[in-house]
Amino acid sequence: MSPVLIVRNLCVERAGSLTVEDVSFELHPESETALVGPNGAGKTTLLAAVLGLLSKKSGTVEILGQSLGQNGSLPTDVRTQIAYVPQSLALQGHFPLTVSEFVGFGFDSPGPHLPWRQRQARRAAVQQALERTDCADLSSRLLSELSGGQLKRVMLSFCVVRPRRLLVLDEAQAGLDVPSNERFQRLLLELRKQEGWAVLHVSHDLDMVRRSSDQVLGLNRRLCCIGTPDNTLTPEHLIDLYGHNVVPYRHHCRE
Amino acid sequence: MSDPNTIVEILREPFMQRAMLGGLITGSLGGLLGSIAVLRQLSFFSDALGHSALLGITLGIILGVNPMLVLIPFAMVFALTVNQLVERSSLPTDALLNIVYSSSLAAAILALSLVETYRGGIRQLLFGDILGVSNIDMIVSIILLIVALIYIATSIRSQVLLTLNTELASVAGVQTRWHRMAFIVLLAVVVAVSIKAVGVLLISAFVVIPACASRLLSRHFTLYMLVSAALGGGCALVGLLASGITNLPSGPSVVMVQFIVFLIALSFSSRPFRKKRGFAQTGLRQISDAKRNDPRTSF
Repeated sequence: MSPVLIVRNLCVERAGSLTVEDVSFELHPESETALVGPNGAGKTTLLAAVLGLLSKKSGTVEILGQSLGQNGSLPTDVRTQIAYVPQSLALQGHFPLTVSEFVGFGFDSPGPHLPWRQRQARRAAVQQALERTDCADLSSRLLSELSGGQLKRVMLSFCVVRPRRLLVLDEAQAGLDVPSNERFQRLLLELRKQEGWAVLHVSHDLDMVRRSSDQVLGLNRRLCCIGTPDNTLTPEHLIDLYGHNVVPYRHHCRE
Repeated sequence: MSDPNTIVEILREPFMQRAMLGGLITGSLGGLLGSIAVLRQLSFFSDALGHSALLGITLGIILGVNPMLVLIPFAMVFALTVNQLVERSSLPTDALLNIVYSSSLAAAILALSLVETYRGGIRQLLFGDILGVSNIDMIVSIILLIVALIYIATSIRSQVLLTLNTELASVAGVQTRWHRMAFIVLLAVVVAVSIKAVGVLLISAFVVIPACASRLLSRHFTLYMLVSAALGGGCALVGLLASGITNLPSGPSVVMVQFIVFLIALSFSSRPFRKKRGFAQTGLRQISDAKRNDPRTSF
């Protein structure tokens, strides 16, 4: 199967300094790639450049065979194949938006249109997406009433409500307790296999990365290591990535 | 004074009919755009726009042309400039807006004090005179209401996603920069058009209070916007009628009606809110520190 995402020699500059330098990797369908590294290593910058939210200095990014323009432009049919789960949403206090309304916005195409267009197809897709992510009972709840774990599952509903090929998560599991994290990860794995998603996610949970990822990118401005979790999350690579203060911990759940 | 015959007589007056229609449009516009402005934490921005509008009016007076002709382009340029300033500056947004609006208000008052013929009109500029709304003002307001309705109705998805998370909106194909500027320009024009009727000091109430009352009552986004617009228009009608009957200033009368409606909404919402506080506070934790500390992202 041809790669969903190809990044070649990507360099990104922020505030006059090179934040991401000469990064190359590929993402294949049904695979999960974890982006790990210390704070300030350029992980979020790399994600932003891959998604076209930041201009790149040099290098190429190709999504589903289409090159990302210098200003982050992509054809609409490719853009709609990408889903993104941010760290957080700005839900100050009582935010008048129900879960089903929010997921419905994931179904809609970009561009101006009236809200009642495709009403029935939209409603059916939202219902199905909520059921697939164990969120059917949350449909009439406000987004601002949800717990952290529920909100992350609703974000997955937003992603699965229409067909996608690439899913990017920026520390989506941050702040989740252990059961919520496990539940989210299990759901993500199921959906990835069913939908054929190529998943790229930033994570600081090396234990979870070791258990769930097929590929690890160790980033500290440039790629320090790339490969399977067993080959990359080694004491040598971790010290190279995080410095000498890190105590590598080998979890045995995977065996 | 308040017997039915007096009310009917007042309503028969052409100036009162024009004021009521003007108030309905202005109030609805304020409520409609305010619903999004409040969620995007632009309440203070609308206040700054209102205060700076006085400078635009003063420029019109000094240039010897109809102040409204100067005010609308002035408000648009001012809004875009402030937006750029907020995006590029490392200073906190509220501090920056305070500097901009207090400086422009001071400049306007100084300039107005030099214009002999306008000294007496300062009170009307500050508190508004909805009874002085002209036919041209009315036509501009109607056009603006139609434009705002079409824009908001066709871009609800973009507005919601942009409010929730800028990156999420961008990845979902929303032209975030365009929509942010379009909304700010629309808000600036609405503030400029409404300023004559509502006044510099009270204009932000037209944007903020109906939206906050609606926010307390609504659970669905579309309903929230419609209720906000309806409350804005309804409060304007009631306030103007009360103003006509009691001969009190129109702008403050409308704002007091809005405030009473807000209190009613608050009392309606307080009981269910207590039950759901646990959930709401969990939801609050979802706001990232970065987002909270950097209001530029909500522009």
